[in-house]
Amino acid sequence: MLRILAVLTMSLYAQNGATRDNWPHYGGQTSAWRYSALDQVNAANVSKLTTAWVFQSGEIDGGMQVTPIVVDGVMYVTTSKNNVFALDAATGRELWSYHYTLPKGFTVFYGPWNRGVAVADGRVFMGTLDNNLLALDAKNGRELWRVQNEDVNQCGCNITAAPLVVKGKVITGVTGGDSAHRGYINAFDARTGRNLWKFWTIPGPGEKGHETWSGDSWKHGGGSAWMTGSYDAELGLTYWSVGNPAADFWGGNRKGDNLYTDSVIALDIDTGKLKWYFQQVPHDVWDFDTAYENVLIDLPLNGRTRKLLLNVNKGGFTFVVDRTNGEFIAGWPLVKNLNWISGVNAKGELQGRNEPVVGKNKIICPSIGGGRSWNQGAWSPKTSMFYTTGIEWCEDVVAVPETPKEGQVYFGGTFKLTRKPMQGEAGGHLGAYDPISGKRAWLYEYKYPLLASVLATAGDVIFTGDAEGFFFALDAKTGNKLWSFQTGSGHRGGPITYAVNGRQYVATPSGWGSALAGLLPQIWPEAERFRAGAALFVFALPEGK
Amino acid sequence: MRYALLFVMALPAFPQGSVARGDKLFAQGCAVGYCHGSGGTAARAQRLRGRTFDREYLIKVIRDGLPNTAMPAWGDRLTDPDIAALADYIQSLANASADVAAPVVVDAATPAAPDLGSATPPEHQRGRELFFDATREARCAACHRLNGIGAAVGPDLLKTGAIKISDGPRVIKYGRPRAVRTVVLKDGDKFPGVAVERNGTRYYDLSALPPVLRSLTQVDIQVVQRQTTWRHLTATRSYTVEDMQAVWNYVCWVAAKR
Repeated sequence: MLRILAVLTMSLYAQNGATRDNWPHYGGQTSAWRYSALDQVNAANVSKLTTAWVFQSGEIDGGMQVTPIVVDGVMYVTTSKNNVFALDAATGRELWSYHYTLPKGFTVFYGPWNRGVAVADGRVFMGTLDNNLLALDAKNGRELWRVQNEDVNQCGCNITAAPLVVKGKVITGVTGGDSAHRGYINAFDARTGRNLWKFWTIPGPGEKGHETWSGDSWKHGGGSAWMTGSYDAELGLTYWSVGNPAADFWGGNRKGDNLYTDSVIALDIDTGKLKWYFQQVPHDVWDFDTAYENVLIDLPLNGRTRKLLLNVNKGGFTFVVDRTNGEFIAGWPLVKNLNWISGVNAKGELQGRNEPVVGKNKIICPSIGGGRSWNQGAWSPKTSMFYTTGIEWCEDVVAVPETPKEGQVYFGGTFKLTRKPMQGEAGGHLGAYDPISGKRAWLYEYKYPLLASVLATAGDVIFTGDAEGFFFALDAKTGNKLWSFQTGSGHRGGPITYAVNGRQYVATPSGWGSALAGLLPQIWPEAERFRAGAALFVFALPEGK
Repeated sequence: MRYALLFVMALPAFPQGSVARGDKLFAQGCAVGYCHGSGGTAARAQRLRGRTFDREYLIKVIRDGLPNTAMPAWGDRLTDPDIAALADYIQSLANASADVAAPVVVDAATPAAPDLGSATPPEHQRGRELFFDATREARCAACHRLNGIGAAVGPDLLKTGAIKISDGPRVIKYGRPRAVRTVVLKDGDKFPGVAVERNGTRYYDLSALPPVLRSLTQVDIQVVQRQTTWRHLTATRSYTVEDMQAVWNYVCWVAAKR
C-alpha cells in the first residue's frame, strides 16, 4: 500500500511541471519544462490542424520573440517596444492593449524586443527597454506601478526577458553582460512594486567570491541574468542563470574565476540569499553565458530519485546538477563543432581550454552565437527526453584589451562567423536527448539555425518553427515530420498550447528578428532578405470532430 | 586620358590614414554583434558593406544617432575628426564584396573614446562617482536626475533656487524636503510619497529604493497628510560627511557651469 502511495505521489509530482488549460509562466510552469499534458492534438491527428485565428501586432522591428501567457481563457502577448495585448484566447478578439511610451529620443539598447510578461493575482508584469519593471491591471491594462531598476544611460542594461512571478514577488534580472556593468537580480513586491531583495551577481568588497575578481574589475564585470528564472516551491529556491563576464573575449584585467558569472545560482525565494552555485565556465573568455532555462526534473539515478536541474550553456555543453545542493551530476556536448574545451572531468570542471588570443586570429567553435541560442528546449516526462535545438558554426576571433567605460559596450574583441565549420556544414538541428547521458534518440537537421523555442506535449508531438517561416510538428518518438504550416516570417519566439472550453489550441509567434538573426548573413547572405513580421498564429483541430 | 581620369575618380576621395583610423574605431565601437558586425557585414543592425551612403548623412547619423533605434549618438564620445574617419571608412566599404576579411586586429594602443564623465575636472571626479555610484542603492541619482542620468523623482538640482551654495552639504544630510507627504491608502498601506502632478493621483513611493511610481486612483487613497517622518537622511545614510562635501562641490560645479 505504501509502495503504491509512493508511486502515486511520485507520478503526481512528476506531472507538476506540465501545463494544462493555462500556460501560466514563461517556461510553461516554473520548472521550465515547456511541456503540456494536453493530448487532444496528438501525433495521430496533428496533420489536421487548422488556423483558428491570427493576431497581427503591427510592430515588426525586432521580430516577435514572445512566449505568450494564457490564464483562464485570456492570452497576454507582448511586442517589440513594450506593447502588451490581452486577447480572448479562443477567438483572438482584443480585450485591451497597453502601449508603453519610451522617453523622447531614446536610444534602444541592444534591441527593441521583449520576450513576454508574467501574470499573477490579477496583475500583468513586464520589463521595459528603458529598464523599468511595471505592473498592469489584468482586467483593463491600466498601469498600477513602475519602478526603474537603474538608469539605462548609466548601466547600459535593460529588461527584455519575461519576469518570474511567484509567492507575491516579481523577480527580474537585466541585460548588460556585454556592457561595463555589474549585474543583479531584483525581487519586487507584486502588490506595491517595492524592492524586497537584490542579489548582486558579482560579490562586492567583503563578500565571499569577491576575491575571484582582480582589482576594480568587479564594478564592470557584466554577469547579467538576461533570461527568466525557475522556481521550486517545495525547496523554496529560485534558480537563475548568470551570463558572461565583461569584457567578453578578454579577461586580462579580471583575473580569477569571476564568480558568479557563467553560473547557475540557487537563491532563497524569501531573502534572495545564495543557497548554492555551480559555475560552468570559470573565467569565461568566449562569451559562453550560462543564461538559458533551468529545467527542473526529478529522475531516478542509481536507485533513488534525485531533484535535478538541467542547463544548456551557450558554449553548446549541457550541465546537469543536483538542485538541492549544486552537485555536478552529468555533462554532455550538444554540438559536433566544439573546440573551446575538450570536455569536462568527473567534477564537471572544464578540460583543455582553447582561449582567444590578443592580437591573433583564432577559430573557435561554436561561434559567439552559441551552440544553442536562448530559445528554450522542452522536457517530456512521457518520453523522458529533452528536446533542444543546436547550432553548428564557428568564428574567427581576436581578443583586444579594452578599458571599461561605465554602461558602454565592453566586448574585448572582434569576431566574424566562418562560412565552413570544422566539421560538416554550418547549420542547425533539433534533437531528442537523454538528459543524463546525452544519448541522442533522433536528430532533425536544418539548413539554418533553429531559433524558436520548443514545445512538447502529452500527445507525443514536438512543435517549433524555422527561419523560413515554417511552423512544424515532429513525432516525439521518431523525429519524423508530421505537419507544417507557412506563417510568412521566420520563428524566434515560443510556441505554447492551452485549452478553452475543452478545445486545445496551439499558438506560435512568427516574426524574424534578433541580434543573432542579424548575424546570419555573415554565413548565409540570403538571410539578409528573410522577411520581417510580427504575428501570432493559433491552430486547433476542426470543430465538431 | 579618359581611363586615367576614371582611375583618379575611382580612387577614394579621403586620406588613407583616416580610413585606417576609422577601421579601428569601427572595430571597437560599431562591429559588435548587436550592431553592424565585423567589417560592416551586418549583424543586428544594418549592413554597411557594399552600400553607398551620402557622406553628410553618415556624419549626421554617427554624430546625432537615430532616435527610437539602437543607433546611439556618438557626438559626445568621439571627436569630429574621428567621426569623419568613421564616415571615410564606411564609404570605403562601398565597393567591398559581401564577404569580409578576417576580423581586424585592433592595436591595443588605439586611444579609446572618452567616457561621458571625462569632461569632469579631476577635483570633481570623486563627487561625480558618489552621485552616480551604482554599487549603492541609496545614491543621489536614485532620486535626482543630473546631466541626463538618474530618476527625476526629487527636484532638478540645476533649477534656480533648488540649491543654495550657502546651504552646504548639511542640507543634503538633514534636509526635510517639503514635497514629501504621507499617503494613506484604504487597503491599510501607508508610504512617504511625492506627487507627480498637482491634484493628480500618481505618487513616487519612497518607502524602498529605487522609488516606485504608483498610479493610484481617488478610490485607492484614504488621505494624503502633510506631515511625514521621512528625512533626506533616510536616503543618504551611506554617505560620510566627506562624501557629502564632495557631492555638494560636484553639484555646485555642474550648476555653475550652466
